[in-house]
Order: sequence, then structure tokens, then C-alpha cells
Amino acid sequence: MNITQAIKMSAKSIFSNKARSALTMLGIIIGLAAVIVLVSYAQGQNMAMQRYYESMGTNKISVSAYDWTGGTDISQSLYDYCLNLSDQVVGFSPTGTVNSAPPIKFGSKTLAQDTNGGGAIIMGGGMAVSGDRGSNYPTLYLGNNQFGQCNDYTIAKGRDLSYLDVKNSSKVCVLGAATADYLFNFANPIDQIITISGTPFRVVGVYDYKGDRSSSSSGTEDDQWINEMISGMDKMILLPSTMNRIFNNNEPISDYVVKVRSAEDLRPVITGLKGFLSKMIDSNNGYYSVDSNDVYKEQQGDAAKMQQNFLGGIAAISLLVGGIGIMNIMLVTVTERTREIGIRKAIGAERRSIIVQFLIEAAMICGIGGLFGIGVGYIGTLIVGKLSFNTILIPSPGVTLGAAAISVALGIIFGMYPAIKASGLQPVVALRAD
Amino acid sequence: MLIEIKNIYKIYNEGKESEVRALDGVTLSIDRGEFVAIIGASGSGKSTLMNILGCLDVPTYGDYILNGTDVTDRTDRQLAHIRNKEIGFIFQGYNLIPALTAYENVELPLIYQGISVFQRKERVMAALERVGMADRFGHRPSEMSGGQQQRVAIARAIATHPPIIMADEPTGALDSKTGKHVLEILHSLHEGGSTIILITHDNGIAATAHRIVRISDGHIVADGTREEVGF
Repeated sequence: MNITQAIKMSAKSIFSNKARSALTMLGIIIGLAAVIVLVSYAQGQNMAMQRYYESMGTNKISVSAYDWTGGTDISQSLYDYCLNLSDQVVGFSPTGTVNSAPPIKFGSKTLAQDTNGGGAIIMGGGMAVSGDRGSNYPTLYLGNNQFGQCNDYTIAKGRDLSYLDVKNSSKVCVLGAATADYLFNFANPIDQIITISGTPFRVVGVYDYKGDRSSSSSGTEDDQWINEMISGMDKMILLPSTMNRIFNNNEPISDYVVKVRSAEDLRPVITGLKGFLSKMIDSNNGYYSVDSNDVYKEQQGDAAKMQQNFLGGIAAISLLVGGIGIMNIMLVTVTERTREIGIRKAIGAERRSIIVQFLIEAAMICGIGGLFGIGVGYIGTLIVGKLSFNTILIPSPGVTLGAAAISVALGIIFGMYPAIKASGLQPVVALRAD
Repeated sequence: MLIEIKNIYKIYNEGKESEVRALDGVTLSIDRGEFVAIIGASGSGKSTLMNILGCLDVPTYGDYILNGTDVTDRTDRQLAHIRNKEIGFIFQGYNLIPALTAYENVELPLIYQGISVFQRKERVMAALERVGMADRFGHRPSEMSGGQQQRVAIARAIATHPPIIMADEPTGALDSKTGKHVLEILHSLHEGGSTIILITHDNGIAATAHRIVRISDGHIVADGTREEVGF
């Protein structure tokens, strides 16, 4: 007997017991759909986190360096060092924040920190993100003409800070998109004067949005949190780093961001910077650290992988239960069809033919159930993606193929025992069964 | 000799108190082209004898030589081939597979034999034609009368052109008219050269055979022509 015949016979048997076959498939459908949806959910969450890290800027190195003695101009030395690596380093900027929260005014509008708003929290990469969700108060950055480029801000209107703005300590500023919207209510802010702590600053440019223009109200708390974190990056004002003499009592900026050309450049540049700083800063009199934002991103990726495996594992249990359902049904089928097995053996079916027939039957039930399961899993993933992440989430082909392979394998593994049991009967014994 | 069994025993629960000797030292030879009826009362061992002759069961002791080869110690697979090629079975309860149509039931032994789909079609239709059921090829067993089902079962038995046809009470579940028709088919198969072994408890049916073997309590008590056995 060839395989085509065996498949035809199995199909006939499956379709002549529609209700039972459908119920058996249900176990596989639910199990498989659960695996696909849960694993996709974990992947979607990871994607959202990665999106967050990417919006903070990729290929970024954060440098902290401080010398108590104040003997060397670290900023200038680092700048010179990076300039020499111009084929690897594409941007360098001091990254300071204004320590206090001075009131910001434009016309009748005032931005002051909420009473309940704590300080800004510092996230990886030296980017400060407003820790207070309700607050519209922006983070006041102190940077240079490459700050925007280093942190993946792009100019939407006007211009960025210039070298001369920094050199001459010009009283100019560039606004984040959300801050510009808040202060100017969508009017053109360019060349308008805002006052910070009473000092007038001319707005020379506005950065483009990083987050969603309209912060969505749908989505899970996790996702909103990420969206708010990203939108939080639009609440900022960039001032020339030399303004530290006004706002931070001329305290030197000790944080820097170095932007490299590509991910491959991260490691060599980090090693180079560490070497350079170790020579320059005596550890008794100062401090330095060199970190990559991508380290956090990788850690997040690892954590997501673990979560994915965990959720997948839970879902796999339901798939296993579905597999045992298959075995159960196949055992019942074998018992019910003992007479048929006897007839088949009497007219010349080999033991192998019987095994193959029952195995194919089990594999087909699982296979068809698997197809439906994938379908349900896709629909479920789309729904979960829309509700949780407000995005179109599609299960990865790897998960889909893996799950489908597992379901057919389950059919074969759990169909094996009933098939072997069925085929071993003496024809005369099988024929006597009712 | 086509069939030769020597000192066949079939003993259940051997050595125990409940020991049953279904066959107690049976020796029998059947030649090619014979029409043999094996008769006996219920429980006499005639069905056990047929099961062993048909390789559906294995004897506890004894030798069985079928068509010149010893089949006593054959593997499961070899026995399956013998059942497929050498023997066509007709059962009292028809034993058609309910989910399959008449055509598919008759086709089954040919599929197991590995015959191509085109040849199968020809042979299935020829077999159904032979029993007068060609027009019912698409019907399932539940859509046919008992007599029709038995004719389909005969078609299945002859589809592989086996040299031996074994029929276990083939008319047992049929009314006398359809039973007679089934017997006629068996006789015409015999005329076509098949060896027929007919198991029955009905003397009237046995009387149509050329040779009659009477079995009782696991022993052959008479073997010969109608006249010799005393019909």
C-alpha cells in the first residue's frame, strides 16, 4: 500500500467522523493558537522596548568623566580625541542638564515644575526623561551643535545650535516638538523670545517629533508607558553647553555623548575612550565611565527572550494536553475499529499498513488542527497587537513553522501507541470484536 | 495437494482446568479444484479449522502446508501476503467496512497488493460484474440488503483471483432465496477453477458440495462424497 492510498483512507475516516475529529482538533487549535499569540505578544513587547531604545538614539556611547582637581579641560581633550577618530565617530556633545527647574515663560504662559513632580530621572545613555507623567515641564539640556545629531533629533523648523552659539554663549535655544506645541500652540516659534529664569532666549529651531504626535489613549499600560517615555523625549529645550555658567554655577559638564558611525564601531571606540581617559584621569582625583546605550538594549533583548520562552513554555503545556487528547481519541478509534482492523488484516493488510494508516490519521488531525490553530493564532495576534501595542503585529514565520511542525510531530508521537496496539492483533481476535 | 494439515491442535488455556481443545489432532488434505463443505454443530471446531486454514489464526501444534510451502512458522507479514494472494474470505456477517462504498471495499485487497489504480478499476468492476453488483458500486453497506452485501463481499474475495475461496456460513444471515443465489455464485466460481471450502451447519447447503467433512468435538468424524458421508 502506498502513501497516497493511506492518506486517502485516513481522510475518509476523519471526514466520516466529523464531530469527533473537530473536537480532537480543538485541543490542537487552542494549544497552537495560544503558543503563537503568547510568543508574538512577548515579541511585540520586545519590539516596543527596542523602539524606545532606538528613539533614544542608536550607536551612542555615554561618557562620564570628572576630575576633582579641575586641572585638565576634559571636554576639550575628549573633543580633540574624537576629532582624530572622524572615520568612526560622527558626533560629540557634552550632555548636561540644568540642575534646578527654573520657570520658563512665553507671553502669559509659564512652564513650571509640578509640585508633585520629582526631579528628572536619568535613563541609559545620559538622556534624561521626565519622570513625572503629567508634567509638561521640559528637560533643559546643555549641549553643543552636535547634540541633536548624537541623540537622533532632527530639525523640523529653523536651525540647530551652531558652533558659534556655543563658543559665544549665545542666548539661543532649540525646542523639542512637544514643548514648542505647548508654549506656542502651533504658532511659529522661530525668532520668538522665551525667558528661562528671567533670562531671555531666542528660539532658533524646533526638533521633529520622536513620539506619536497624538498620544494614543488605547493600548496597555506598558505600552502607554513606553509611548509616554518616547513622547517625553519631545519635552525638552536645548541650550548651548556654555550656558552652564548661568544655570549650574559654572559647574563643568561631566557627561558626554559620542555617536559612532555603526554598531561595529561601538566596541573599538569604547576601548579607545577608556584607554584615553585612564591616562588622563587619575582615579584618586577623578572618575570616568564609558558605556553604550546598546548594552541596555541587548539586556532588554535577553530579558524579552526569557519572557518569550516562559510564555511559550506555558502555551506548550496546553499543546501537550491537546496531544494527549489525540492519543485518547486514537485509542478510542482503535477500539471502535478493531473489527475493521481485523477485516483489513484478513484481506491482506500488513501490520505496517495498519500502523501507517493510523499514524497518518493522527498526523492529519493534528495537521488540519494545526492549520486552523495557525489561523486562529494569526487573528488572535492581530487583535492582541492592536489592543496592546496599537500596531499591526504578525507572528514571525519561525514561530508559525515551529508550531506547525510541533503539531504534526505530536500527532505522530501520540498516534504511535494506539497504532502499534491496533496492528498487533491476530486477525481472528480482531474479527471477533463487536 | 493444495492444502495439507497434519495433526493440528488448537488448545486454549493449555494445562489449566479450563483447557479447551477446539481442534484435537486434525489431519486433512484438500486438492486443487475441490468443493469441500466442512460441517458440524456449533462449537464443534469448524470455525477454528477455517481460521487456521485461512491463516487468520495459528495452530498450537501441527503442520500446515499450503501450496507446497510450510506456513506454520511464517511471520505476520508473510501471512498477510498469503491471505492477500492465496485466499478469498467470505464471512457470515459479510464484514464489509461500513465507511467505504461497495467499490472501495472490493478495491481494498488490490490496494494492499500494490496494484496500480487503472488495473484496480478494471478488476474491481469485473469482480462486481461477476456477482451482479456492478450497478451498485457507489453504495455503502448500509444502503444494501444482506444478500447484496454478501455479493459485494464475494466480489472482494475474488478480486485478487485467489486459488482458494473460504466461506464461513455465507448464507447464515440470508433468506433461503438469496442464500441460494449466493450458493450459485460459489458453484460458478468452482466451475471457473477455484477451490471452495464452505463451512456450514446446514446439511442442505453442505449437500451441494462434492466432498463433505464432518467435524465434531475437534475431531474429523467423516470425510467423503455425499454418498459416503451418508447424505
